[in-house]
Amino acid sequence: MQSQELLFIQDLHTFFFTPDGVLKALDGVDLRLARGRTLGLVGESGCGKTVLALSILRLIPSPPGRIVKGRINFEGVDLLRLDERSIRDIRGNKISMIFQEPMTSLNPVFTIGSQIAEAVLLHRRHGASTKKQALDVAVHMLKMVGIASPQARIHDYPHQLSGGMCQRVMIAMALACRPSLMIADEPTTALDVTTQAQILNLMKDLREEIDTSILLVTHDLGVVAQSCHEVAVMYTGNIVESAPVEDIFSSPLHPYTRGLIRAIPRIGALRRGESLQAIPGNVPTLKDIPRGCTFNSRCPEVMDICRREYPPVFRPKADHMVRCWRYVN
Amino acid sequence: MNNLLEIRSLKKSFAIKSGVFRKTTGYVSAVDDVNLDVYPNETLGLVGESGCGKTTMAKIILALTNPDAGSVVFDGVDIHAAKGQELKKIRRGIQVIFQDPFGSLNPRKRISSIISEPMIIHKTGSRRQRLERSAELLGMVGLSADMLTRYPHEFSGGQRQRICIARALAVNPRLLICDEPVSALDVSIQAQVINLLVDLQKKLELSYIFISHDLSVIGYLSHRIAVMYRGRIVELADAQDLFDNPLHPYTRCLIAAVPEPVPGLKRKIEQAMPDADEIGASSEGCAYSGFCPIREAVCMQEKPGLVETEDRHYVACHMHALLRGLS
Repeated sequence: MQSQELLFIQDLHTFFFTPDGVLKALDGVDLRLARGRTLGLVGESGCGKTVLALSILRLIPSPPGRIVKGRINFEGVDLLRLDERSIRDIRGNKISMIFQEPMTSLNPVFTIGSQIAEAVLLHRRHGASTKKQALDVAVHMLKMVGIASPQARIHDYPHQLSGGMCQRVMIAMALACRPSLMIADEPTTALDVTTQAQILNLMKDLREEIDTSILLVTHDLGVVAQSCHEVAVMYTGNIVESAPVEDIFSSPLHPYTRGLIRAIPRIGALRRGESLQAIPGNVPTLKDIPRGCTFNSRCPEVMDICRREYPPVFRPKADHMVRCWRYVN
Repeated sequence: MNNLLEIRSLKKSFAIKSGVFRKTTGYVSAVDDVNLDVYPNETLGLVGESGCGKTTMAKIILALTNPDAGSVVFDGVDIHAAKGQELKKIRRGIQVIFQDPFGSLNPRKRISSIISEPMIIHKTGSRRQRLERSAELLGMVGLSADMLTRYPHEFSGGQRQRICIARALAVNPRLLICDEPVSALDVSIQAQVINLLVDLQKKLELSYIFISHDLSVIGYLSHRIAVMYRGRIVELADAQDLFDNPLHPYTRCLIAAVPEPVPGLKRKIEQAMPDADEIGASSEGCAYSGFCPIREAVCMQEKPGLVETEDRHYVACHMHALLRGLS
């Protein structure tokens, strides 16, 4: 099971330097992703999920943002040490990204065929050196993501497609260069449930077909349960728990993870007399992060030490990591 | 049972305009022959995908748009025939909360004037009484009275949604239309707002029409659920019954598509999922016939009506006898 390691992030700090002070969007993130696996990155808005995704691609807007410290090892290369030219060879080629809003991520004034072909030509993949060859690749990719009559569809503009279709096109574009890592930032949040189910199935099939790893950024634990191997839970710029997906749901350790799982409405639960257990309070903004453990003000099991010191990493099991003082031995 | 709201053969369609001269080239029915009742003190869930007509329904019930045909009767009065004081009285009885708590509060107004605005419009109380009532309402939704002097930008999404709820409750409505009230919120905050809505319903004896695309939220807090597809109600049943015993093929497809937070649990998806562009259905027949795995010739020719197949379980499908056999 523990196959080759593809991505290894160590002690990553990404800060934003604003007039109001330094915002620590990522504050010491560690993350591992093996080849051919799907890692779910879960957390609520503002916890740093997207900043992490953008940091991997070195797409943090600077200024105000900057990766201050840490390492991002990808296929044995530290991405943070590469110059701009070399990182551009990796972006969209070995690591690609799909975004939440399929409708706004596509350029409205180009046909979808030419947008896919652009990526192929740029990286000279599939031995394509002419536009004609690249368009053939585009047709092939559209077919692969399940778009009917791709030969005709490559001449369509984004506004002619539905949300689900646009997301398929985005996936086709992301996979056109056969990346070893695909980062999907909330790829199904804007879609209907039925379309979501289709897109998730498609991503799963394609992962096997072209042997890519997926970093799936989402806030939906249902999506995680259905499509990930491992899960990392983020809270205020750090990973507070990570484990194989079965363990996260069967024996969640961090009070935040437990709270998240209990807060999901289950069908029929209210009439069975079970009320939803909400996590009290709000997610703290980066401007006023509490001292000690950042979850301490909302935690039902808070202890004295939680108010004083940020918890280090504990490993109750070899593949189960948690940052919570309750697990200090 | 006395109905609080009665919707009878409601229809609304919009013109599709195209070309330079915006010529009408066709019509799309957003609401097509809908009959629905809302009982006092109940939550009616309305579920369906984007574009199925959920929000158009809400707008018609709020008398913000007029229907092409049909009627909506609230507490014995036809909403769209009412005028002047009578309409104002109805508007007082039906309030609404919207999806986006960021867009639905005026950023230039203090919370106190946001919450008292409905009371000013409906001329209730003196200035002082309105202020007291606003403070009381804030307490009711779990915020403190000293927040009255603040502005919306000082609040998080969940808190803003609470403010929207307080504003909606300011004039003591009997029916609250909740149009995707929690889908913009984070999971932990979503649960807080859902619990608040459940508590308020018990306390104030409210009825809700809860509109959502999220079956698990709808399934959690609705008493009855109506499933909408392309402007028509395709199934209507008690919430538990709908999940235990879904009859319409579309309902089954929707339920199967909900990602369950249980790893390894794979619901079998029995059929091809509809994609909004592949409109294969004939305009005379059942709108779902393009994807339906059990369609017959009749489905392409005739629209099925909503029929009661079991006690309080309604379905609009020609094949319902067959469906009951399957389940």
